[in-house]
Amino acid sequence: MKHSDYQELLALHAVDALDAGEVREVSSHLESCAECRRELAELSDAAALLAHTAEPAAPSDDVRRRIMREIQSPPRSAAAQSPGVVPMSQALSTAWPSVLRLAAAVAFVALLLGVVTLWRRDAASRREIAELARQVNRQQRELQIERENMARQGEAMAFLNSPDAKKIALSGTPTAQTARATFVYDEKSRHGMLMIEGLPATPPDKAYEVWFIPKGVSPIPGRTFTVDANGRALISDSLPGEAGAPMVVAITLEPKSGSAVPTMPIYLASPAS
Amino acid sequence: MRAEPSQIADDDLLRAISQGDESALAALYDRYRLILFSLILRILHDRQEAEDVLQEAFLQVWRRASDFDRERGRAFTWLVTIARSRALDRLRMLSSRSRFVEADEQTVSDEVIDTAQVLAKSEQGEIVRQALRELPDEQRRALLLAYFEGLTQAEIAERLGDPLGTVKTRMRSGLIKLRELLRDRSRGLA
Repeated sequence: MKHSDYQELLALHAVDALDAGEVREVSSHLESCAECRRELAELSDAAALLAHTAEPAAPSDDVRRRIMREIQSPPRSAAAQSPGVVPMSQALSTAWPSVLRLAAAVAFVALLLGVVTLWRRDAASRREIAELARQVNRQQRELQIERENMARQGEAMAFLNSPDAKKIALSGTPTAQTARATFVYDEKSRHGMLMIEGLPATPPDKAYEVWFIPKGVSPIPGRTFTVDANGRALISDSLPGEAGAPMVVAITLEPKSGSAVPTMPIYLASPAS
Repeated sequence: MRAEPSQIADDDLLRAISQGDESALAALYDRYRLILFSLILRILHDRQEAEDVLQEAFLQVWRRASDFDRERGRAFTWLVTIARSRALDRLRMLSSRSRFVEADEQTVSDEVIDTAQVLAKSEQGEIVRQALRELPDEQRRALLLAYFEGLTQAEIAERLGDPLGTVKTRMRSGLIKLRELLRDRSRGLA
């Protein structure tokens, strides 16, 4: 297809009227064509205004209360620092081995000793001391992050052992044969955790995305995430409203900002029940 | 479309939400609950379901605010897209469970209309409706079928009994015309 052929399709894309094959073609053209991206943004803005033609109606005040309650309520344990639905951090923690933690603590003490010795020895070493102090600060920050990671892992363990938790195993597809993952969720609190290992490294401008596919419903996007050097990730997410057994949970690779519909191939998926 | 003060504020709200600011989400909800609820209700024709979907849409905004990309359209467009696709997903789910009973489109009672705010909004709605009236009937019908019922071009062609090529051309001309019309009039339009 030529550039002008794609341009023809943009208006239909803006109202989601293209068929799946065309959507794929247009999407891949958009990645490389800034002009079409601008055009699509404008057409999407125009299409969004169609919402104004709907008969005006107001939701009950209860909806606002429910939303605010939902975003404020902590997921499982009061000890958890951030609610599962809060996206402040990428809500993604990597499982550092405790050896590293110990090493960090030792390094911290060593640096402190270094600071004290230098202080005694020579005032001219002030600059060096400042640099070391900065390092100490950095180490402290890393320790803090590490402590948060440990807390989150504790939360994951507590969640795994909860009697209400349901477990879904995901296995790697031919695209990611070594990958596997476990999704644990609680239908009552709508809280879920996904533990993943063995995924290929995340390319720079991409992110993995979680999909919930309840029976008979098109895939509902979950979180986007990246994996650590070992292909691992631990994700905390709330379950979308329609999600619930029976459902398939799947992982695909998407542009960094995430997608509304999954891009093939699938990397990880739970069996269709 | 040029940046306007109101929409810069939308972008800022989304940025604050992406940093976990709950009051920013409350402000965004207060600003757009009417238009988004009206849209969702227009798609689902069921208040209970529509309120559920509105809640879900804002929870998605809460979780995914950092995904908003100004390059891909305005904040309002992003919000409308989330609300609309959530509502269409729900519509498909309800249809697939065959629980969906076609409700009367005009069942919205007066008591649920928040008069003062709806008046302000309906002025904007009037601009869009006026622009839509200027489109040829068949272009308008095809666009609304895609937008509110989530039909694809092929489904629309089947529904209207027109050739696919014709339907494509109509929708394309319709939306492009709408964009031109709105460009001239959209000052102050959220």
